[in-house]
Amino acid sequence: MSVIEFEDVRHRMPNGVVALDSVSLKVGRGEVVAVVGGNGAGKTTLLKHMNGLLKPSSGRVTVFGKETKEESIARLSRRVGLVFQNSDHQIFSESAKEEVMFGLKNFGIPPGEAEEKAGRALEYYGLADLAARPPLTLSGGEKKRLCIAAVMAWEPDVLVLDEPTVGQDYPSRSRLFGVVQGLASSNRTVVIVSHDLEFLWPLSPRTVVMSKGRVVADGPAREVFMRTEMLRDAGLREPQLLQLSRRFGREEPFTAVDQAAAWLTERGRAN
Amino acid sequence: MAHVMAEGFKFRYLKTPVHGLDPRVKLLMTAMLFALALLSSNLYQEALVFAAVGVPAALARSLKRLLRIAALSLTFSLMIFAVNMLFGQPLLESAVITIRFLGIVAATSVFFVTTSPDEIEYVMRWFRLPRDFVFAFATSIRFVPVLMMDLTQIIDAQRSRGLEMDRGNPVRRIRNLIPVLIPLIVNALVRSGELAEAMEARGYGAVSRPTSMHALLMKKNDYAALLVLVPAWSLLITYFLGLL
Repeated sequence: MSVIEFEDVRHRMPNGVVALDSVSLKVGRGEVVAVVGGNGAGKTTLLKHMNGLLKPSSGRVTVFGKETKEESIARLSRRVGLVFQNSDHQIFSESAKEEVMFGLKNFGIPPGEAEEKAGRALEYYGLADLAARPPLTLSGGEKKRLCIAAVMAWEPDVLVLDEPTVGQDYPSRSRLFGVVQGLASSNRTVVIVSHDLEFLWPLSPRTVVMSKGRVVADGPAREVFMRTEMLRDAGLREPQLLQLSRRFGREEPFTAVDQAAAWLTERGRAN
Repeated sequence: MAHVMAEGFKFRYLKTPVHGLDPRVKLLMTAMLFALALLSSNLYQEALVFAAVGVPAALARSLKRLLRIAALSLTFSLMIFAVNMLFGQPLLESAVITIRFLGIVAATSVFFVTTSPDEIEYVMRWFRLPRDFVFAFATSIRFVPVLMMDLTQIIDAQRSRGLEMDRGNPVRRIRNLIPVLIPLIVNALVRSGELAEAMEARGYGAVSRPTSMHALLMKKNDYAALLVLVPAWSLLITYFLGLL
């Protein structure tokens, strides 16, 4: 069963630019879907349709069978949690805990239960010790996790992440990777919008490639990332581990640096 | 809504005879239109003001944008109308005052819709205003569309967390602005701090009289525009002052 469905969607911006053109896409329950593409490909416009922030100019977007045109953003957001790229665009509370409580209160969750859920979310995302800290004083990685915790606290069925790795240092990226992996293994539907193929490759998600507002490829990452020319046309380049696998003529590509290092060491010894 | 406002405020360069005029001519034209709007005292004169504003706006292919800006000031216009009615002004008088306000908004908008922040900066420098003041003013104008885009994104982020801005009583609605205004102000302060550092890193303030790449030069088109503008305005202002 698909939880989000785009049927021949076209979106025209107020300035006349067609940001989405003939987009048809189904996101199934429990799927991890990566939406990739260069700048201006229409990725963010696509994700804003998933909780009704944007409505299609023509075509239909349905979320859990309900057309987004007929639902409020608040009702849709209860089921589709969206984490924006820039954490500073949402942080405003006096403490990290208050920040997490904001969404819970908006959705009318009773105070006691909201407090419990907020505490659980902070704990899960490794922010329990920072609960009383003003969120503006947190590091970039902590802010990003706080924004995810603030959305995951109300337990939406679908989590949509917009460019989660932008501005993240190595430890924050690794931690973020663990978070996404955890969500994927818990059978939650996750949509990641990104142009960071290095981050996505080890996750091996279903991959949707966008270019000039259109879906130009849709399939398992291992198949989609093999289409070098298509990726280049879409302003992307295949992940480095895949390039390395190709150079050594491996049929089964590397999915982790450690794996590649071990194989190369072994090969060196054999030679 | 915020997106529509952002679009309205954004300067877009178009290749039109009005956009191509010297900014000093555009400023003079705006001042003339402003004076006409201010002095209009009946509906006929106001109709003439809108026609006078409409000509350069149409030539600048910006009539739609001007109408959008006028629509945004409609709420304030209605307030002016209501206050005038409340204080016992007759209906016609209240309507004239309200339309006069709309005329003033439209007249001044012609300048901002057709003049880039850079050109505004050149004009201010031509008037020999202090450099820091000119820079601060021009930067604040350049920042308006950026802030409007920030506002759109912040509203999107908070609405995605269940914030319903138009819901509840007036007090609740005002409180609903807190999650939007705090990130907006914080981002603006951070950005202005970064800009100040970047400017200093590129030598801003190193010498008291920096050179400029641009010099304002009047061309044939500008003189031609003045030849049309000055007599037409003189005629209208004479009529508006009751001297005709």
